[in-house]
Amino acid sequence: MKSKFIAIAGGLLAATALAGATAKADVKIGLIGGVSGPIAAMAPSMISAAQLAFQQVNEQGGILDGEKLVGVVGDSACNPQGGTDAATKAVNIEGVSAIVGPHCSGAVLAAAGSVTIPAGITVVTPSGTSPEITGLDDKDTVFRTVPSDDYQGRALARTLKEKGYNKVAVAYINNDYGTGLADAFKAEFEAQSGEIAGFAAHEDGKASYRSNLAELASGGADTLVIFDYGDGTGLTILRQALENGFFEKFVGGDGMKSDAPINELGAENLATFVASSPVGEKSDSLDVFNEAYKAAGGDPDAIFVTTSYDAAFMLALAVEKAGGDKAGVSAALREISNGEGEAILPGEWEKAKKLIAAGTAIDYKGAAGDHNFDAAGDVPGTYALFEVGADGFEVMVEMK
Amino acid sequence: MELIGLANYALFMGIFIGIYALLALGLNIQWGFAGLFNAGIAGFFAVGAYTSAILTSPSADGRLGGFELPFFVGWFGAMVAAALIAWPIGKICLRFRSDYLAIATIGVAEIIRLVIKSEEVLTNGARGITNIPRPFGDLPYVQSQLAYLAIVAAVLVVAYLMVQRQFNAPWGRMMRAIRDNELAARAMGKNVEYRRLEAFIFGAALMGLGGALFAHFNRSITPEAIDPMVATFLVWIMLILGGSGNNKGAILGATVVWIIWSVSEIATDQLPHEYAVKAKYIRLFLIGLMLQLVLRFRPEGILPEPLRGDTRTDDNAVK
Repeated sequence: MKSKFIAIAGGLLAATALAGATAKADVKIGLIGGVSGPIAAMAPSMISAAQLAFQQVNEQGGILDGEKLVGVVGDSACNPQGGTDAATKAVNIEGVSAIVGPHCSGAVLAAAGSVTIPAGITVVTPSGTSPEITGLDDKDTVFRTVPSDDYQGRALARTLKEKGYNKVAVAYINNDYGTGLADAFKAEFEAQSGEIAGFAAHEDGKASYRSNLAELASGGADTLVIFDYGDGTGLTILRQALENGFFEKFVGGDGMKSDAPINELGAENLATFVASSPVGEKSDSLDVFNEAYKAAGGDPDAIFVTTSYDAAFMLALAVEKAGGDKAGVSAALREISNGEGEAILPGEWEKAKKLIAAGTAIDYKGAAGDHNFDAAGDVPGTYALFEVGADGFEVMVEMK
Repeated sequence: MELIGLANYALFMGIFIGIYALLALGLNIQWGFAGLFNAGIAGFFAVGAYTSAILTSPSADGRLGGFELPFFVGWFGAMVAAALIAWPIGKICLRFRSDYLAIATIGVAEIIRLVIKSEEVLTNGARGITNIPRPFGDLPYVQSQLAYLAIVAAVLVVAYLMVQRQFNAPWGRMMRAIRDNELAARAMGKNVEYRRLEAFIFGAALMGLGGALFAHFNRSITPEAIDPMVATFLVWIMLILGGSGNNKGAILGATVVWIIWSVSEIATDQLPHEYAVKAKYIRLFLIGLMLQLVLRFRPEGILPEPLRGDTRTDDNAVK
């Protein structure tokens, strides 16, 4: 039995050793995403956005001594089992210098806890929004380019209070996205002496939410805050709340800012609907990225593509700055984007490389924001509150 | 790629194989011995993982916990909790036969998953529990994995020896008699319902232990881990492929399936980059193909159940 196991394992390992011996001079960065599993529809565009960053690096002279930067794609399947497996392979078999991903929060927590933190490899997740990631004991190796749900929830609560909303009911989808947003919103709204008159989670995919809505409305609030997805369950809830007149005013998180409600329900019925959403930094960074990504055949409006691109490009800069030293990547990552130094826009690899070689400080201005990391490796987001106008969503007010 | 990297990867695979082998052993008691079609492995896996997480993790706001007990207390608690949950479920569901039982247990696993996702006070809801201590987790990467593999291997060996002993004991023969001919066993005066419940609970306890080992290895547990694909059906494939009714088969099945599952990704990575994303699905295809081939050409599995139901050569041992 034992000898069989050893023989099988040995044979397979030998096979992989032979297969992996090619292309030794390349610098590798892992791209671990939920290729299969619940976010399979979103993952390909996120990965291709990250690959675009590597392509730009290679077209503009390559990394370090003109070496090729290669993205190694791994499948986390959006669960901890797949996440740790993919991360172990990326770190040990492929020998990556850093990792973009994993995409889902549960996979990030598991892969960080069992693989990347012990191995000292830096990870930047473009889409893991769970507040739990903030509190990881990570030796400063876990970062993210997407704001924590905690941040958006709090910003939304403050903005609503300023706008005169005092008594609201909250309906949220029962997953880490909805729960994270709703908890943060509730804490901040109550701290600002607002009243939460109803607070309930719902499962997705049901045909009717009328009983949930009736219960939420019984608290007496005239405003319903929905943390859900506008092209899924959130649409059903919004429609049924409108049809039955449970609430007068509606507020959504970034998931609700989708064209589906406008197309399905009509802009004239959504006069009292507002939604918060991240907005690109006022600089040219977003335009530069959008053009480049369109030219590469991608859709720049797809979700999390900007954060994926930024994560990949920043890790490339950090590897360059650290001179290829894996242990130095996390410190370098903070140096290349701390708000001080010459501004680098998406795609400006050649310029950045020269400045790094000359020892000048640089500051990356990303497509999704400035990405000046705080002590926990989180970024503050730039959010605005949108209302529905004649041509779709229009910015109503910036959120602080 | 360096040798140390290969060693790390091999250690990691060993740990996962050990954890899955525990799940497969638990299922072997239920299906291989007693013929109970449990399709709710993920539920008992989750109960074990969360119980141990709550018992051993430091306190956090808004949820039960902060007991910070040593890991072995957590693991023992995981087994007890999974067994306690299995008792009422078995009491109610085991009156069903084969496929009806499968449907009922899928439902039970789904109920457990939703409770875990929704009861924030108990499990921190969808966010999951983090900062679970890992034994020898403070050592450097390689040593830490090595130490954990040693623990997992030790646990697996103990579990294997105990289950194997039961297989050869009168209890094992009786279970197989109930499985193969319930009426005859009943006529012999065996309490069929009670014995079935026993097998169900023992199996569930091992699954709970597997869940606890998993949570401590990752230092975190989130509801995403209770995915039926990786926590229920993959285990079934392992047992069927390895040979149900054979404990060595269960462990071998876990080894073979996990190695294929994990290593096939390295193989597909050798394809050109434009296929890199699409090729990930080859893994799912390979597992399905393998199961089809085994069912077609070797339905009893790689290591079939011993024919006489007794693997000992010594006739003078316990009768």
